[in-house]
Amino acid sequence: MMFLFCSDGVPMKGERRIASLWLPFWPIERLYRDLVQRHPKIPERPRALARPGAGGLRITVCDRRAQAEGVEHGQLVPDAMALCPLLELHPADSEGDRKALARLARWCGHYTPWTAADPIGRGGEPDGILLDITGCAHLFGGEEELLSILHRRFSELGLTVRCAIASTPGAAWAVARYSRNTLSIVPLGGEADALRELPVAALRLDRAVVDGLVRLGLKRAGDLYGKPRAPITARFGAEVARRLDEALGFEPEPISPNLPHVPYRASLSFPEGLTQLLHIEEAVRRIADDLCEVLQREQQGARQLELLLFRVDGDVTQLRAGTGRPSHEAAHLARLFREKLAQAGDDFDAGFGIEAITLACLAVEPLSPMQDGFDGNETRLHDLERFLDRLSNRIGQDRVLRLEPRASHIPERAVADVPSLRGMTPAMRSWPTHRDVHRASMLGGSLPRPLRLLPLPEPVDVVAEVPEGPPRIFRWRRIAHKVTRTEGPERIAPEWWRGDRQHTRDYYRVEDSEGCRFWLYRDGLYYRNKEAPRWFLHGVFE
Amino acid sequence: MSPFFAELAIATNFSFLRGASHAEELVMAAEALELSAIGIADRNTLAGVVRVHAAAKEAGIRLLVGARLVLQDGFEVIAYPQDREAYGRLTKLLTLGNRRAPKGECHLGMSDVLAYGERHCFIAMPPAIPGKDFAGNLALLAEAFPHSVWIGLAPLYRSDDKRRHAVLARLSRETSVPLVATNDVFYHMPNRKPLHDVLTCIREHCTLKEAGFRLSANAERHVKSGEEMARLLADWPEALDATQEIVNRCHFSLDELRYEYPADSFSENETPQELLERLTWEGAREHFPGGISSKLEKTIAHELAIIEEKAYAPYFLTVHDIVREARRLNILCQGRGSAANSVVCFCLGITSVNPVEVDLLFERFVSKDRDEPPDIDVDFEHERREEVIQYIYEKYGRHRAGIAATVITYRSRSAIRDVGKVFGLSEDVVTALSRSTWGWSSAGISVEDAEEIGLDPENPQLRMALKLASELIGFPRHLSQHVGGFVITKGPLEEVMPIQNAAMEDRTFVEWDKDDLDTLGILKIDVLALGMLTCIRRAFDLLDRHYGERMTLANVPPGDEKVYDMLCNADAVGVFQVESRAQMSMLPRLKPRCFYDLVVEVAIVRPGPIQGDMVHPYLRRRSGQEKVDYPKKELEAVLKKTYGVPLFQEQAMKIAIVAAGFTPGESDRLRRAMATFRKSGTIGMYREKFVGGMIENGYEPDFAERCFKQIEGFADYGFPESHAAAFARLAYISAWLKCHYPDVFCAAILNSQPMGFYAPAQLVRDAREHGVEIRPVDVNHSDWDCTLEETGMGKCAVRLGIRQVKGVQEATAVAIERSRAGGFDSVRHFWLRTGLYPRIIERLADADAFRSIGLDRREALWAVRGLGGYASGQNGKMPAALPLFAALEEGGLQREEEMALPAMPPGEHVVLDYATLRLSLKAHPISFLRNRFAAGGVIPNARLKDVEAGRRVSLAGLVLVRQRPGTASGVIFATLEDETGIANIIIWPKLYEKRRRIVLTSRLLFVRGRVQREGIVIHVVADDLEDWTQELGLLSSEDFGEAVIARADGVKYPGHDPRDGNHSKEEQKRLRAARFVPRSRDFH
Repeated sequence: MMFLFCSDGVPMKGERRIASLWLPFWPIERLYRDLVQRHPKIPERPRALARPGAGGLRITVCDRRAQAEGVEHGQLVPDAMALCPLLELHPADSEGDRKALARLARWCGHYTPWTAADPIGRGGEPDGILLDITGCAHLFGGEEELLSILHRRFSELGLTVRCAIASTPGAAWAVARYSRNTLSIVPLGGEADALRELPVAALRLDRAVVDGLVRLGLKRAGDLYGKPRAPITARFGAEVARRLDEALGFEPEPISPNLPHVPYRASLSFPEGLTQLLHIEEAVRRIADDLCEVLQREQQGARQLELLLFRVDGDVTQLRAGTGRPSHEAAHLARLFREKLAQAGDDFDAGFGIEAITLACLAVEPLSPMQDGFDGNETRLHDLERFLDRLSNRIGQDRVLRLEPRASHIPERAVADVPSLRGMTPAMRSWPTHRDVHRASMLGGSLPRPLRLLPLPEPVDVVAEVPEGPPRIFRWRRIAHKVTRTEGPERIAPEWWRGDRQHTRDYYRVEDSEGCRFWLYRDGLYYRNKEAPRWFLHGVFE
Repeated sequence: MSPFFAELAIATNFSFLRGASHAEELVMAAEALELSAIGIADRNTLAGVVRVHAAAKEAGIRLLVGARLVLQDGFEVIAYPQDREAYGRLTKLLTLGNRRAPKGECHLGMSDVLAYGERHCFIAMPPAIPGKDFAGNLALLAEAFPHSVWIGLAPLYRSDDKRRHAVLARLSRETSVPLVATNDVFYHMPNRKPLHDVLTCIREHCTLKEAGFRLSANAERHVKSGEEMARLLADWPEALDATQEIVNRCHFSLDELRYEYPADSFSENETPQELLERLTWEGAREHFPGGISSKLEKTIAHELAIIEEKAYAPYFLTVHDIVREARRLNILCQGRGSAANSVVCFCLGITSVNPVEVDLLFERFVSKDRDEPPDIDVDFEHERREEVIQYIYEKYGRHRAGIAATVITYRSRSAIRDVGKVFGLSEDVVTALSRSTWGWSSAGISVEDAEEIGLDPENPQLRMALKLASELIGFPRHLSQHVGGFVITKGPLEEVMPIQNAAMEDRTFVEWDKDDLDTLGILKIDVLALGMLTCIRRAFDLLDRHYGERMTLANVPPGDEKVYDMLCNADAVGVFQVESRAQMSMLPRLKPRCFYDLVVEVAIVRPGPIQGDMVHPYLRRRSGQEKVDYPKKELEAVLKKTYGVPLFQEQAMKIAIVAAGFTPGESDRLRRAMATFRKSGTIGMYREKFVGGMIENGYEPDFAERCFKQIEGFADYGFPESHAAAFARLAYISAWLKCHYPDVFCAAILNSQPMGFYAPAQLVRDAREHGVEIRPVDVNHSDWDCTLEETGMGKCAVRLGIRQVKGVQEATAVAIERSRAGGFDSVRHFWLRTGLYPRIIERLADADAFRSIGLDRREALWAVRGLGGYASGQNGKMPAALPLFAALEEGGLQREEEMALPAMPPGEHVVLDYATLRLSLKAHPISFLRNRFAAGGVIPNARLKDVEAGRRVSLAGLVLVRQRPGTASGVIFATLEDETGIANIIIWPKLYEKRRRIVLTSRLLFVRGRVQREGIVIHVVADDLEDWTQELGLLSSEDFGEAVIARADGVKYPGHDPRDGNHSKEEQKRLRAARFVPRSRDFH
């Protein structure tokens, strides 16, 4: 039987071959990878993910240790904890799982360009990848070899994987998930046999439909072969017949309609992962040469380019660049990416190395001899902002700072320094204006503090009335000040939950005979603390 | 001489998540600081005032009772009623605010305050920045109530205190409203600040780190002495003096609310006492047709005299009226608790135990010394209690009858949960911590507990969290409605206490709980629900209809030998109170032969006697193995009835009096101290006094310790003798029904589910073992309820009702009954006639209810699915066809292709029966596996009785019940069922720890263990356990025979498939099977 299949608008003749990868522990193994990255020595503990569901938090997925203790999908957390008191819980993050899976699928792009995260998973969430390997397998030494490469690579990434190759996505999906073997290959035309003994759930049907079929005794896919379609369709909808046809190859099924059409691409892989930026740049240059050779031959110039850096650890870095006019100059194109890579600078993370690089033209135009004019479309920055940016760039980002208010009663914790480059944060907008301060001091409300505090409060000698009298005379930096006016005390208790054993402070605003104003505090209360309180000066009003 | 100062703005922890001290703590602090008086004002509520009232009375501190009214626009004013009428207006005002707001909120505006504010003292509490709004509201209030408004002046230790005070003083001058000194108190001591911060965070749903300015800057809002306040407000001495004026003006006290009983139910020409006496003697003649003995006459006269002296007659008449109405409505009811001590209650028909017969003490119920109203609890049928409640509302009006509140307080679990969140502990740590304690514990979580679950005990955050959590325990969290506590007043209820909305629509409850009502002596009646009464009433109805026997609670023949024979054989499935596993093993040892034996039986298997280690001595003495003697002669009177062993609550109390030298009042207080707050301090004091007193009087220290332990046990679930007697009565009646009419009893108890200890499957099985024919659910025969069908042999068969089918509503059953007429002859016919959605019919098909049409469940399901409404995404929700086409449709003109469906194996039928009906009449699931099990040496449960004690056996069965009684130090009792019977398994804690998962999750459990015997009671003490749940999966596979062979080879036996992957085949089977077999019933 011959069928025509469409892949991304590029018609292909002949049999299609699809590899389906199933990651049965995907979310939890992803968590492990994150944990190990953050704390290389994490203790061995049963772990599980949970999310709020009916009746409280419910387990969404758990690791093998937890499974061995009886934890299972859909269980209420308290039940799971009763079975497995050491269970460590993390919040489920299906959005993150989905995104990471999409990245992983893209990473598989160096086996075949046609890859996609499988939208249908065994739970409600995607947990697999589909690869259209039609015509690719021989590059890796045949299908069997490709499967074992995939299996090895995923194991190295810390991911459990089961995979199957078949002529239809449906059959590959079913066999990957329901066969006894970790790796399976369904020979051409062998789909019907391969599926016969698998449960009907292997047909990617709705759970309710599966349930209904099972209750009628139609438990295996094979039970549906040769059965009249009309009565089944009347009872379960057209889905049953469609899924069966898809799996058996009677009906075509595109795997991912959203892949970009890539007219030109070149790639290179490396036996040892590249880690040095220099080597990567060199490699990009070589790939650009290859690509430009083809472009030149076809009289095309690149307008949009995509550089994919496939990391050993299963991640992909994706960089895009555009050109002002179509170009097939390898040096120019390579430079575009060199700048991008350099921009990433220290942030660029090659992980354990780059094992393959692909450079693809996403858009090409016939080469035109004309050069476009350069129009100055610069955005206008506020003068001060621009000044701050320049200053920051010149003397260092962490040397130009802004003050940001923090919600703490403790004066030295009420302000934080942040790099000016981050711009105005919402918190900064809550700084009181002059008018606010004025209004507050007329009506009541907390009074302004010194604009700048001393880096550390400085001890002072004070003459004051016990227990709560304001300072009368104080000596600071060897100069005695006679106090004429005072206001206070403002009493501030320590932030007890931080565990530091600080005292309660009583702050006073004072004015000396010279008219200078100071902010002093008594550290500790008489009668409540054992040792006698001491006095400090914390700031000067300017 | 300290200056006069009264702190008039105190919030208790009934200002939920704001106040951080208990009422008692605040009063103690005020007493220590020698305050002249205090005023309690919680946020829009009076819920906490009774506790403060009681504490202040004891401490001798003058108390002002009021509320802090927080208006919708943010204005806060404290209101103190000056007299009883003003208090009534305040409660009305709060009721108004509560009733128009959702539960837990109170919406008030200034116009409401103006309307109800007459003769109050108001203290306006200024906000942080007293602006125009404050001044405006203040002016309104001052104008409406001249010379009755003050401005609260508080030293807050903010930077602007002086300026703020100046602003307020100016406002005071401008409006001529004087200032009054207060510290706006939230806690009794500065070291409560951490807890106050935690409460703030719980309220604001944030962590301590995020809370920022939402926390207060300092710890100054505690109770302060007069000197301190005078120093802080030295510039405003008149503000301190003002407190005295307010205190002098408000002379209302909660004591003025002393109860006046409603007088509705009485006639005009008789006083309540006369009426009560007449009704009592009438009742006596009716209940004692044989004549009233002189002893009885004396008892009645004695009781009536005390009732007259205490003027409780209206109360008795009120309860009598409610009970009489229930009788009229044919609702079964019975008084429980201490009311059963009263012959008057018996004569009035409130209780059904004759106290003379069991020699109960009236003084336990009402005493001359105790100045509190009697407490009568009445049980009603749980299904029909609502009618009784409606009657009370109707008779007394909603404005006079209300439901009492229950104060929901923080317990270990909820406290650590909330505090843990505030500390930012991760979800799993919090969950693990809260799991490490039993659900209702109030003991807090220790650092050792935390260490046990793998947390670092040195972590300071964790330590702080645990400490604060234990401080939080006992704090009220919110109010909820009590299950059945009714309060009835003479005048309008809302003038006595505020009323709130309940979570249930149209339900309201008062703000005080039962203890508060007790404290103030306000009448309350517990209208409780009891499932067994429903069951008995249904049984009586069936008896009348099918056997022509008219029975009542009173005329069940007493002393029936056959009934006691049955109980002695531990044949008690379904019998009230004595059906639990522990009771069933006690029955053959105690061998009840008369009613009083049953009373003992009910009371003995309780934490009190078990913790006090009184059970075995009692049994030994009763069977004559041990001589009956009394620790001292003086105790003989107390303990004579129970062979010298104290079993009942009142016996333990009596020992306190007779042997430990307590006064009756002290003994009663001891009981209450145990029941309500278990603060180690108070208990320790009583313990010393009790044990020490007994030793001093010449008792063995060991006996004294045991007696005290027993009182501790009673605190949890103690049974006074009268209560046990009331329950024993129902136990006897249910046993009588089960013994003589097992068919009636089976139908009645199935129709009263959920109740009791056993699932329908066991009840049905038990009935079948007693020769009752049970017929399956069928669309052509079943009603909603289980019914009796006459067999023509003098007995009836039980037809299971549609109520047994999971997921089907009563309305569905009614629709079927209504349209049944001549019966249904096809699924399509059924659909068109009943008009039910196909998805509902599907549930009936799944339950195999179309057999009378000739379809098994698979064929019926195929037919239902063919009705349409599935393919087009309507999910089986298509209504039946239009009537016009109905006739056409009914002929079944459509033909479709034949479809050969595989036949369902019998094992799968059974499994699906369990899945849809929770029971199967076809076979027991284990019977299909018997051959396999036999090959593995597993014996049927029925064979256990032939096995010698001490021998090792292997058993396997479905887990019916798992039980971990608090009194059994971690031992787990499990009950296994197979097709031949049940087996009782004992699992020691050591094995449990090793096989935790298996114990907790197995549906089919394999046990290897040793047989233990005691009389006819057989236990198997487990040595090892295996989870065989996956075996059940075999029942639904077609290749069942094949699997049996494979298993017999011992190839795959028994373990799991080690194969890689998420769900191995075995695992899938396990999951599938687990879905079908109902979960066991687990008890703690």
